[in-house]
Amino acid sequence: MTCDPERLTAYIDGALDAGVCPEMEAHLAACPECRAQAEEERALRARLRALPPVDPSPELEARVRRSLRARPRRGSWLLPLAAGVVALLAWARGASPFVAWELSRDHDHCFSKRHLPAKVWSSDPAYIAEWFERQATRVPLIPDGAGGLELVGARYCPLLDRSVAHLYYTNGDHRLSMFVVPGPVRDSPRELRPRGNFVRLMHVGGTTVGLVSEEEGAVAAFERALSTTVASNVAVDRAAP
Amino acid sequence: MTREQRFEAEALPHLKALYGTAYRMTRNVHDAEDLVQEAFLRAYRAFDGYTPGTNIRAWLHTILYRCRTDAFRRAGRSPRTVELEGDGPAVPAPQDALASGGEDLVRALDGLPEAFRTAVVLRDVQDLTYDEIAGVLGVPIGTVMSRIHRGRALMRAALGGRKP
Repeated sequence: MTCDPERLTAYIDGALDAGVCPEMEAHLAACPECRAQAEEERALRARLRALPPVDPSPELEARVRRSLRARPRRGSWLLPLAAGVVALLAWARGASPFVAWELSRDHDHCFSKRHLPAKVWSSDPAYIAEWFERQATRVPLIPDGAGGLELVGARYCPLLDRSVAHLYYTNGDHRLSMFVVPGPVRDSPRELRPRGNFVRLMHVGGTTVGLVSEEEGAVAAFERALSTTVASNVAVDRAAP
Repeated sequence: MTREQRFEAEALPHLKALYGTAYRMTRNVHDAEDLVQEAFLRAYRAFDGYTPGTNIRAWLHTILYRCRTDAFRRAGRSPRTVELEGDGPAVPAPQDALASGGEDLVRALDGLPEAFRTAVVLRDVQDLTYDEIAGVLGVPIGTVMSRIHRGRALMRAALGGRKP
């Protein structure tokens, strides 16, 4: 065995595996250098152990006892707070003014970019529907355009706690967003104007569709288009045997 | 017995030992007392996580060391930085050791980089095992062995023994 000063330290402290100890003892007997290290370390350890303890001020214990009593346990207020946040979130995600505000913000965000951040580019509603379908989102009703605006592309956009299908319609400077919002949305008032945009939330075929535009006319045109689509779908269903 | 009474009965008797380590870490009475107070508060909150029958002094030291590293993090530095610098600054010995003739010993201990100093104090003053020290510092046993060895070697050199 060659000199191994670190393992010798562990041996002195009784922290070396028992199997290695005889080897270390044999080495110590033969190596004056390591014997000297062992003696010095043992002497040092003995001196350190004999150091008088440093005592804290007599007030410290009282201070600690006081602080234990003064502070309530963290869980006692954190838990109701967390429950409150969860309840608020659950309420907000179903409240139409809040959802309208989120969609309006996302509409502004996407259209404020130099290039629209679409992930799929197409004017073909069937192609876009299929793109969402592949990612497990059913987008049953996609008009190819209305009021002069045309479908150009789509992507998923993040809201507070979920992502929504976001479809872009443009015509020059005119633009409109159509969103498919998962989860229930409580009854929407006719007029929603978050952030200066016109927003309409509609229940269409079991899903919530949000329409957002700076122009009231564009929203109205898409609302009509969607109602017509639903009406014609219903008519087809009824005609089927 | 309430939770608070149990904590006071089991943990508070180790206040002096914890203070001893905190004082060696910080080399300052006020910092050491603040550190101990914070450690006991955290320990009280985490008391449900303590396994009865295990070494409560080692458990308290783990929390104390975490408080110390958190304080370093808040100040934007870490004890490891000090470790890499090699020898720490020479610090005058505190009054406590003068009467016992341990002035040179305390000066050598205080002169160690904090990472080595803490390892030596936990082993030689607090008598924790290598396993317990590894748990306190959150490092492998090999690192504990190396820090204790290097700490003692530096102290031996400072006390006029052989080179580290």
